[in-house]
Amino acid sequence: MPWLTLAVSVPLLAAALVAVLPARMTAAPRAVALGASVLALACMAVTWARFDAGRGMQLVEEATWIPSLDISWRLAVDGMSLALCALTVVLFVLAVIHGVGPKPMTRAAAALLLLLEGATLAFFLAQDFFLFYVAFDVTLVAMYFLIALWGEENRRYAALKFFLYTLVGSLPVLLGIIALFLAAEPNTFNMMRLAEQEPLAGAGVGASFVFLAFFVGFAIKTPVVPFHTWLPAAHVEAPTAGSVLLAGVLLKMGTYGLVRVNLQMLPDAFAEYALPVALLGVVSALYGALVALAQTDLKRLIAYTSINHMGYVIVGVAAAAAGGISAEARELAIDGAVLQMVAHGVVTAALFFLAGFIQTRARTRDLGLLNGLIRPMPVYGTLVAVAFFASLGLPGLAQFPAELQIFLGVFDVWPAVAAVTVIGIVITAGLFLLALQRAFLGETSEQWRGLTDVRGRELAAVVPLIVLTVALGVFPRLVLDVINSGSWL
Amino acid sequence: MNDVQTAKAMEEEMLSDLLWLSPYGALVLAAIGAVVLALALPRHRQGLVGAYVAGAHLSAAALAAGVWLDRGFRSTMSGTVVVDGLALAIVGILGVSGAVTVALARPTVAGTDREGEFYAVLAAASFAAAVLSSAGDIALIALSLGLLSLSSFILAGYLRGSLRGNEAALKYYIYGTVAGAAMVYGLSFWFGLAGSTELGAIGRALPDAPVGMVVVSTVLVVVGLGYKASLVPFHFWTPDVYEGAPLPVTAYLSVLPKVAGLVALARVLPQALPDGSLGWPTAIAIVAAVTMTLGNLAALWQSNVVRLLAYSSIAQAGYLLMGVAAMDGSEAGLPALVYYLAAYAATNLAAFAVVLAVQRESGSADVAAFAGLGRRHPWWTAALVLSFLSLLGLPPLAGFVGKLEVFLAAIDAGQAWLAVVAVLNTVVSLFYYLRVIAPAVLSPAAEDTGQPRAATAALATALAVATVATVALGVVAEPLLDLANGARLMGAR
Repeated sequence: MPWLTLAVSVPLLAAALVAVLPARMTAAPRAVALGASVLALACMAVTWARFDAGRGMQLVEEATWIPSLDISWRLAVDGMSLALCALTVVLFVLAVIHGVGPKPMTRAAAALLLLLEGATLAFFLAQDFFLFYVAFDVTLVAMYFLIALWGEENRRYAALKFFLYTLVGSLPVLLGIIALFLAAEPNTFNMMRLAEQEPLAGAGVGASFVFLAFFVGFAIKTPVVPFHTWLPAAHVEAPTAGSVLLAGVLLKMGTYGLVRVNLQMLPDAFAEYALPVALLGVVSALYGALVALAQTDLKRLIAYTSINHMGYVIVGVAAAAAGGISAEARELAIDGAVLQMVAHGVVTAALFFLAGFIQTRARTRDLGLLNGLIRPMPVYGTLVAVAFFASLGLPGLAQFPAELQIFLGVFDVWPAVAAVTVIGIVITAGLFLLALQRAFLGETSEQWRGLTDVRGRELAAVVPLIVLTVALGVFPRLVLDVINSGSWL
Repeated sequence: MNDVQTAKAMEEEMLSDLLWLSPYGALVLAAIGAVVLALALPRHRQGLVGAYVAGAHLSAAALAAGVWLDRGFRSTMSGTVVVDGLALAIVGILGVSGAVTVALARPTVAGTDREGEFYAVLAAASFAAAVLSSAGDIALIALSLGLLSLSSFILAGYLRGSLRGNEAALKYYIYGTVAGAAMVYGLSFWFGLAGSTELGAIGRALPDAPVGMVVVSTVLVVVGLGYKASLVPFHFWTPDVYEGAPLPVTAYLSVLPKVAGLVALARVLPQALPDGSLGWPTAIAIVAAVTMTLGNLAALWQSNVVRLLAYSSIAQAGYLLMGVAAMDGSEAGLPALVYYLAAYAATNLAAFAVVLAVQRESGSADVAAFAGLGRRHPWWTAALVLSFLSLLGLPPLAGFVGKLEVFLAAIDAGQAWLAVVAVLNTVVSLFYYLRVIAPAVLSPAAEDTGQPRAATAALATALAVATVATVALGVVAEPLLDLANGARLMGAR
């Protein structure tokens, strides 16, 4: 069975099916969305079982698509693809359980979620640049409509900003893809062959331009300071499930591209720019943490910590690209970076769900107004505490092993950079503890005493993430063994 | 060989020429047959003329495909008409676009006093555009450009009661005549320098001619063809004519003259000025950059969707021209142009079909009339979103593959700077395309102002066909790309 193709096409076909359902079948959209996302999850589970971690890129599924340009429907997985696809399918099931927009879920909402899922999986699985780019832009359109239709007050502005920034990022990527296509001999969009050939290896200025084109595109998506200004707006204004998917999955497309394209196809150019890229990562990590410290809106705070956490990933990838790194440290850095993408996806998704729950109850996310929430909402308080601790990098929870590996890898090339980056952890620790203290401990004001605790669908959406957070923290091998970057990089 | 045998051979030659020319013949028969039918049929049956003309357009497209597959390419009528891959591909595009336009126009012109003649003139315009795209001789270029202009003026002014329509037709007429005259003047230089009206002979003569004279005459020729393609700075007529003409005519005018003008440029420049002499590829690249930039910037300020699409079509002409500019430096230039022309035709007709449907219902084509369209007409809105995103160039739609092709050609031809300019322009264009999409999808339904008029079957069919083509040409791009790759130019190096 072509499991990868199924994983991509089931959500896409289901999206088309939902769009033409008769309007009177009100329960159907949600049921179809749930069914399709569970099927995609099952396909990825099968893939996980068939995957051989020692073999690099594998399970290739290929069909000719546009032979004139040597474009194929070509899907395959390596450790990084598989880890991120697993994250994707899990988060989409939970996002569907939680729902978007009015209840019961409308046809448009279900169709957009499924379109987004299919495109995201296609992006992580694509081994053909045409498909890669198509998927990249389709996620953009689907997410634009999710934010613009069901976001909060300033949704239109935030959605436009998101569309604009991502488009500005994706077009240089397109030019870079064309440049690689033309440089390859014979011309090809086949990403596996391009990674093998490295058509621009050692080629001075041209390679630098192509590198920068890809880098700018992926840096906007990640986002790296100074290309980050779309992120707070989009995350804050998006509906809860939208923020979850945006921070949990879509940001990873940037760092995934950085590894898949910049590192694998343009290693020489990357080696030249490794230090500047690492410094941008450090700036992102510190800037994100510092700005998060100043936030009182819980969603905005989480959004800025995303910039901080993705900054670590950038530093790790840059270290792996540097010329002087040892093989073991390189593997540590990339394994850590990929694990950090997964861990951050799980933890941030949980955080955005949790921020959404308090929003629907208290009609505010302002940490200055909330207090003593642990008393009326003990379960909620516990979940938030775990997620906060995970996000600040507490040992035993998901992000600790990832960040540790990154720092160890970076230390091998640039000890000073690693040392400065660790400051970011100190700041995030401070800000999460502060937030916890302000909103959850202390006296409970009159207005918050009547709040009900989380239940039902909310628990179903968030508890699996908390379980995963703990599991990844205690047994990081679960994912690290699969990632095994030594086999594909 | 005796006289009888010679005569017989010539006769056979002519007969086989007729087969080669059959796609053009179908369009001529469309025009003449329409006039006769219009006279013969009573007024309430004039729709049949439309059906006949649409059918003839489709047969022209089918015959073009048949000639291509069956016989390949050749020049005929002593080299005046070049029936090559480019010409046949363009006849195919024009044939299908013409049929779609007839369907679009039917609800607007039904019951008017000269409905049958309208279709006849439309067919004449298609014929002129087809000939202009196939001309290997400057006299034929001048002639077909004249016929195209004449029939376009008539179409633009078809609704005689409309002041704006009259203004549009007059404006188009005056601009067109001046630009056409400039071109004929330029062509007369070429004839004087080469002593022949055939493009091949001109290409052999121009390299040895005085540079100043060649430059001036070439610029004059580009003026005439650039006016048809609404390239900056010959674009001033575009928004006013688009707004004033009946909307289905506007839809056709956004495709037909543009296709013909760009294809004529693609045929004339490489043949008359072989090997990129006088740096015409760079000059055309600069015109392309200016055209897309001004078109996009002007479109930002439009609140009427027809005017917005007018400026958008100017910007698109800039992207299309990238294919022409790349022709000398890259094999990919011409295929890119042909693919993008087909993609543009499908996309723009889909966009205009939605605007037409909205205008018929609400009586207005302002952006405000599109607010809440998603609630009232989800299928129209889907077509609107798909066609506008295709114009923006998002995958997997036709417009994306078109842009991919022209970017690829530009970079391959060493004009990477032009691709960068086009990328920046694409970003700018996001704003105005979203200005229509966003209210249509996101706003609550506006109050019903006009009397709801359901889309007729013809309009709905045209809308569906164009939208499906917009998606299909992108997702299943291979057949058209394959065709475009075969669209070689005969006569050039």
